[in-house]
Amino acid sequence: MRDPNAIDFWRGLALVTIFINHIPGNTFERYTYSQYGISDAAELFVFLAGWSIGIATHGKDGTPEPALTSVLRLLSRTVEVYRAQITTMALALAMIAGTALALDNPLILEWHNAGGFFADPIQTMVGFVLLTHQLGFFNILPLYVVLIGVAPAFVLLARRSRALALALSVAVYGASLVFEWNLPAWPGEGDWFFNPLCWQLLLVLGIVMQGWHREHAWLRLWTARLVPLGVVIVAAGIVLSVWEIRPDPLLVPDPRLLFTFDKTYLSPARLVHFVGVLLAFQAVYRLVAPRIGPVARYLAGLGRNSLAVFSIGSLLSLGAQFVRFQTGGGVFVDCVVVGSGLIALGVTAWFVEWRSRRPRPSSSASR
Amino acid sequence: MALPKATALVLGLTLGLVAPSARAQATPQSPATQAPAMPAAPAMQAPAMQAPPAMVVSPPRSTATAEGGEALDATLSPECRVPGSRLYTLNRLDAVKAALKEKRPVRVLAIGAPAASAGASTSYPVKLESALERSIPNVDVEIESRGLSGEVASGAAERLRTMVAESEPDLVIWQVGTHDALARVDVGDFANALREAVQWVKSHEIDIVLVDPLYTASLAEDAYYTSIVKAVKDVAASEGVPLVQRYEAMRYLAGSGDKGEGHLLGKQFRLNDLGLRCMAEHVTRAISLSLLQPDLATVTGTAVTPPKDGPRAAAPGPAGSGQ
Repeated sequence: MRDPNAIDFWRGLALVTIFINHIPGNTFERYTYSQYGISDAAELFVFLAGWSIGIATHGKDGTPEPALTSVLRLLSRTVEVYRAQITTMALALAMIAGTALALDNPLILEWHNAGGFFADPIQTMVGFVLLTHQLGFFNILPLYVVLIGVAPAFVLLARRSRALALALSVAVYGASLVFEWNLPAWPGEGDWFFNPLCWQLLLVLGIVMQGWHREHAWLRLWTARLVPLGVVIVAAGIVLSVWEIRPDPLLVPDPRLLFTFDKTYLSPARLVHFVGVLLAFQAVYRLVAPRIGPVARYLAGLGRNSLAVFSIGSLLSLGAQFVRFQTGGGVFVDCVVVGSGLIALGVTAWFVEWRSRRPRPSSSASR
Repeated sequence: MALPKATALVLGLTLGLVAPSARAQATPQSPATQAPAMPAAPAMQAPAMQAPPAMVVSPPRSTATAEGGEALDATLSPECRVPGSRLYTLNRLDAVKAALKEKRPVRVLAIGAPAASAGASTSYPVKLESALERSIPNVDVEIESRGLSGEVASGAAERLRTMVAESEPDLVIWQVGTHDALARVDVGDFANALREAVQWVKSHEIDIVLVDPLYTASLAEDAYYTSIVKAVKDVAASEGVPLVQRYEAMRYLAGSGDKGEGHLLGKQFRLNDLGLRCMAEHVTRAISLSLLQPDLATVTGTAVTPPKDGPRAAAPGPAGSGQ
């Protein structure tokens, strides 16, 4: 178990934010930082995934590990994430079906796009394992599977030339924006909520920046100097989101996605805002971590076990939605569901780490 | 993507299970082979007939009167028949009219179809498209259907704008409110976000028809749920856009006869094929009647006289009514 660090801390904060924002209508939703900017926790999550890949595929001294090891490492991570997505989706669908039965309310089957599964299990079962049938709020892991699946190509390319890897990534991103490329959803019409062709850019940025940041003092110097720029961008983001100022997608010139604030395509405004957030908050962890010891340890614990915490968090927020629906919500209910959810996330992180510590042979848990 | 054959197969299979409730309608055929029959106006029937005709055309008059004395809208197929005032409020649809005048295809964006239009319900856009094309002859209707999960009050309204910008339709048919109701978002927040989104669509000279949430018996007494339904109605009224009162229509159908809720929310516990077909008919009815609205007039379903029944129902279609 590694010590708390900035990456795990921020990832933990992103996880908590995603958990709360996935209980729409709840009291605490308006206090998450997603409400005060153009980009949100999803960007942070994917970027930090790239950064972590950069760390994981290099030794402590910065020498890259053997190529085959990196490929296998990422492949094994892809399998893990895929398994998590399938398990989480199966549990979510069962929760939806069970709640609909228990409350005798067929509307619940329509929850977040789940209706397709119950209306047409034959096609949807295929879409389910192909990751092309996604439930609302359960669409981040499919993105993640694709991103980590293609990560070996970018990791290996970045060893030749980071600039080349980044250029390739930007080219795919730009073309997807201009030509509106996206992966199709199936069955049913529409596309992926998180377009991997665009979101890969954040992952590659994470991988590449981690490498440059490790090797080049000038980059560290300049990121530190640019904190004020980051603060300005963050302030602008607050103004735009609080006053709900955004471009009208029917009025902007073609290609529209270059100008709108679109999450699916990670439009440039979101990207710029996210870079501003990175610049503005780069040093914050070092400043606040000593003062908020337990909170920092809690968040870093979540971040270290992000896959398990994210999966359980998705199910908990779904459960919390049902509780809010049945009880009618309200501040008290929100405190209870969000509070117990945050505790459950902490317990999840602890449990995963307990499981990964090999129990002593004498303990009853041994097999 | 739609895999029509596979869909038909699936429909056949699922209907095998749901059929009892549908068969109770005394239709000898399997519902899967029924025409998603829409207009009964005999004049219009002719061009529409790839599917078996019959049974929809002229219902026995005795059944055609609702308890309030108001006639059922006989242009609807018997199992979907609801009095007009329960079904819609009408308003003008200028963009669609313009498309009709220019004799170009009418582009329709159907948003928030049940089951997000996956699988069996792919048939909903298909049903809607054929129902619209039959009720407005000589017109090509191009339907694009998109699921919209999430709440209007938080985020979904924004995605709606993106979808509209992507497809640039003449008409948006928006089934709205269910997700917000399930998330128990504040009714005021919901109404404001909905109103803004409707205003935005209108400001770009795109027509919009709202469809309010589904009815289900377990929520009939839920004051919050009905307040969401009412919010949709209020927004439609204040913004002057047509509304399909799906909640009222389904409640009416659920209460009529001994069919109970199984009628539209089949034994399989979801909006079944029949329910989707009725919805396609109801939406089509509201649209084709809205197209008949005189310019500069706003009339509600009660004020306008919906065609009473039988032959007189040959309410002249807006275009090509003469055939």
